[in-house]
Amino acid sequence: MTDFLNYVQREWGTIFSYTLEHLQLVGIAIVIAILIGVPLGIYLTTNKYLAETILQVASIIITIPSIALFGIMIPVLSMIGQGIGFLPALIALVLYSQLPIIRNTYTAIQNVDPNIRDAAKGIGMTTFQRLTKVEIPNALPLIMAGVRTATVLNIGIGAIAAFIGSGGLGVLINSGISRGNSNMVLAGAVFVSLLALVADFILKFIQARITPKGIK
Amino acid sequence: MIEFNDVTKIYGGDVKAIDDISMTVEDGEFVILLGPSGCGKTTLLRMVNQLESISQGDIKIQGQNVREMDKIKMRRNTGYVIQSNGLFPNMTIEDNTMIVPDLLGWDRKKKKDRFNYLMDLVGLNPDDYRKRFPHELSGGQQQRVGVARAMAADPPVMLMDEPFGALDPIIREKVQDEFLAIQKEVKKTILFVSHDIDEAVRMGDKIALLRDGKVQQFDRPSELLIRPNNDFVSDFVGKDRVLRSMSLYSVEDLVTTFGLKNKEDTITDTKEISIDTSLRIAISMLLNQEADQLVIVDRQGQAKGSLTFDLIEKFLHQEVKGA
Amino acid sequence: MNAKKVTSYVIRLILWTLVIAFFFWAISENMFGKIFEEPGKFMELLGRHLELVSISAGLAILTSVPLGILITRPSFRRSEWLIVNIANLGQTIPSLAVLALAMGFLGIGLKAAIVALYIYSLLPILQNTIAGLDSVRPEMKDAAKGMGLTPAQVLFKIELPAAASSIIAGIRTAVVLNIGTAALAYLIGGGGLGVWIFTGIQLFDNQTLISGAVPVTLLAVLVDLLFRGIEYLLVPKGIRLARKSAMESV
Ligand SMILES: Nc1ncnc2c1ncn2[C@@H]1O[C@H](COP(=O)(O)OP(=O)(O)O)[C@@H](O)[C@H]1O
Ligand SMILES: [Mg+2]
Repeated sequence: MTDFLNYVQREWGTIFSYTLEHLQLVGIAIVIAILIGVPLGIYLTTNKYLAETILQVASIIITIPSIALFGIMIPVLSMIGQGIGFLPALIALVLYSQLPIIRNTYTAIQNVDPNIRDAAKGIGMTTFQRLTKVEIPNALPLIMAGVRTATVLNIGIGAIAAFIGSGGLGVLINSGISRGNSNMVLAGAVFVSLLALVADFILKFIQARITPKGIK
Repeated sequence: MIEFNDVTKIYGGDVKAIDDISMTVEDGEFVILLGPSGCGKTTLLRMVNQLESISQGDIKIQGQNVREMDKIKMRRNTGYVIQSNGLFPNMTIEDNTMIVPDLLGWDRKKKKDRFNYLMDLVGLNPDDYRKRFPHELSGGQQQRVGVARAMAADPPVMLMDEPFGALDPIIREKVQDEFLAIQKEVKKTILFVSHDIDEAVRMGDKIALLRDGKVQQFDRPSELLIRPNNDFVSDFVGKDRVLRSMSLYSVEDLVTTFGLKNKEDTITDTKEISIDTSLRIAISMLLNQEADQLVIVDRQGQAKGSLTFDLIEKFLHQEVKGA
Repeated sequence: MNAKKVTSYVIRLILWTLVIAFFFWAISENMFGKIFEEPGKFMELLGRHLELVSISAGLAILTSVPLGILITRPSFRRSEWLIVNIANLGQTIPSLAVLALAMGFLGIGLKAAIVALYIYSLLPILQNTIAGLDSVRPEMKDAAKGMGLTPAQVLFKIELPAAASSIIAGIRTAVVLNIGTAALAYLIGGGGLGVWIFTGIQLFDNQTLISGAVPVTLLAVLVDLLFRGIEYLLVPKGIRLARKSAMESV
C-alpha cells in the first residue's frame, strides 16, 4: 500500500499527463457525439420508422466488445494509414456514445407534455421556436443523462483504447502489465476509476442544476 | 358477525387514526364506512383482515378474535376488494378469479364451475373472458372481476375499500346496482368504504359515519338523513338530505303508514303508480303529470287510493318530525 | 408505402450492404484464415471464452437475483437506497480497471479472470432485479396479501412474474458486457478469444486479429439477441399487454 502511494507520489506528473490525454480523447469524442446524436435524435422524432432502424443499429453497436471493434477497425482504417492511434479510438468512442445520446434525446423530445406543445402552438410559435424555446429546454435533463452515460462509458473504453496506441490512463495498465509493475497497473486502474466517478458526479450535478424545479 | 370492541389504532406512536370504536355488523348486513378523506375508514377496514395491527381493543369475526386467528387462513376466508382492483396483470381473468380457490387446493372441475357461476353473477360471459388478461378489459369490467375474485371461495365476510371509486359516474351507478342485486342473492356480511354519501345511501343497510377516527353516527341511511346526531353529520349528508331521503322510501311505506285500504271507485284519466316506486320518483311523476294525483296500485293491480303532494307532505312530517 | 418508410428501408439496406461488403472483403483477403488453419486452437480459445463467461455470469446471477429479492423485502427496505447507490457507483468503474484490480489482488490466471468478470457482472443484475421488484405496484401486493397469499406466494406468483423482464434485461446486459470483458482476460492470463485479438494487435497480424475479433463480436450480438428472445418468451403475456397499454397512455 505505502509502496503504491510512493509510486503515485513519484510518478504524479506522468499520471497527470495521462489523465489529461484521457480527458482530451473522451472530451473530443463526446462533443462530436453530441453534435451528431442530439440533432439526429430530434430529427428521428419526425420519422418513427427511421427511429426504429437507427436505435436498433445503435443498440447493436453498443453490444460489440470494444477491443473487438478496435481490432476490426485496424485493417479497415489501415487502408488510409490510420489503423492505430487517436483516430480509430475517437471513431469508436463516438459510435459507442450514439445509443445513450440518441435514445435519450429521442425519448425526451417525444415525452414533452403534449399540453405544453399545444400551448406553444396556441400562442403562435413556429416549429423552430417551439423546438428551441419549449422542447429542448424540457428535454435537456434527459439528454444530459444520456451524455453522462456516454461519458462514463467512454472513459472506460478510452482506457482500452490505449492498446491501440491512443494514449491515456490505459497506458499505465498496458505497460504495467507488460513490465510486471503492479503499482503502475494499480495506478492506472485507480485513476481511471476515479476519473469515471468524478465525471459521473459532476455531470449528475449539472443534470440536477438544469432540471427545472417543476419536473423534479 | 363482525364486532368492534373499543378498537383504537395508533400509527408511529402518535397518530391516532382510529379512536375507541365499538360497533357490531350483523350477519348478512351491508355496512358502509363513510366519511371524509383521512378519517380512518381504510385503517378500520384493514384491521379486520389484519393488514394493519390493532393497537388497542378487539375485533371479532363470528365470535373469534382476529388477533388469535391464523392470518393467512382468515384472509383466504375473507373477501377483499380495493379501489384499483388489484388484478394481477400476469394472470388471465380465470387465474385471477380463482387464485384463492387455487390456494385452497380446489380441483379443476370445481374451480371451473365456480368461475362460470361467478362470471354469470357479475354479468360477464365466462367463455369470453376466461383466457383474457386484465389489461384487455375496461375499468368497469375489471372491477366486476375484482368483485368476483373476492367472492371466489364464497367467504361469509367481504371487505371492500372504495371498490367503485375509480369508475366514472354512469358506469359506477350501473355496477352499484348490479352489486346490490348480487348481494340480495348471496347475503354476505359486508364492510364497504366510501366517501360518497349518495353511494352510501344507495347501497348500505347501515352507515357508520366517521370523523377523526370516531364514529359520529351508526344508523340506517334514512335515520342518518332525517335524524342526524350532530352538526357534522347534517353537514356531511348535505342540505338536500330530506330530498335525498325520498329515494329511501317507497309508496308502500306511505300506504302502510296511513293504512290505506283497497279502493274500488278508481278515478279514470289518472295515471297509476306502483307501490314499489320510490317517493323520489313519485314526486317527479306528480310534477310531470299535470294532474295533482296518481292512483296507487299494489302488485296485484289492486287500487289502493290516490297519491297527492299533501299526502307525501303529511308522511314526511310524521317521519321527519325530529329533524 | 410512404416516404418515411422508404428512407428507413434505404438506410437499413445501406447498413446491411456495408456489413456484407466487410465480410466479402475480409474473406477475399483471407482474414479468417487463422480459424481454418488452426481449428483446434480456435475451438480451445472459444471454449475458454465461453467457460469464463458462463461460470462468472452464472455465479453472478445466483448471487444477485437472490440478493435483490432479499433487499426488497420490507425488513431490509431501509438499506435499499444504500445498495442501489453502491450499485450505481460501482457500475461507473471501467471493466479494464476491474480486471487490473483483480490482478493486483489475485495475481495472474484463470481464477483472477473469473473473479473479475463475476464482480463486474453482479451490479447490472442486482440493479435490474431491485428496479423490477420495486416497479410492482404496492396495491397489487396489498391485494395479494389481503387475499391470503403467503409472502412467498406473493413473491413467486406476483412479484417475480412482474419483474421478470427487468431481471432478464439485467442478465442480458451483464452477459453481453461480460463477453466483451472476457476478451480482455488475456491480459491477466485468463485466455479466451482475446488471445488472438491482442496477439494480432501486437504483431500487426490482421489475420489473427480478425479471426479473434469477429467471432467475439458475433458472439456478443447473438447472445444479446438470444436473451431478447428469452425475455419475450418468459415475460407473461398479460404483463406485455399491461406495458403496452401503459406506453400508449403516455
Ligand atoms: N401507514 C401509516 N402510517 C402513518 N399514518 C397513517 C398510515 N396510514 C394511514 N395513516 C393516517 O391515518 C389516518 C387515517 O387514514 P386512512 O385510514 O387511510 O383514511 P381514509 O381511508 O378514511 O381516507 C390519516 O390521518 C392517515 O394519514
Ligand atoms: Mg381510504
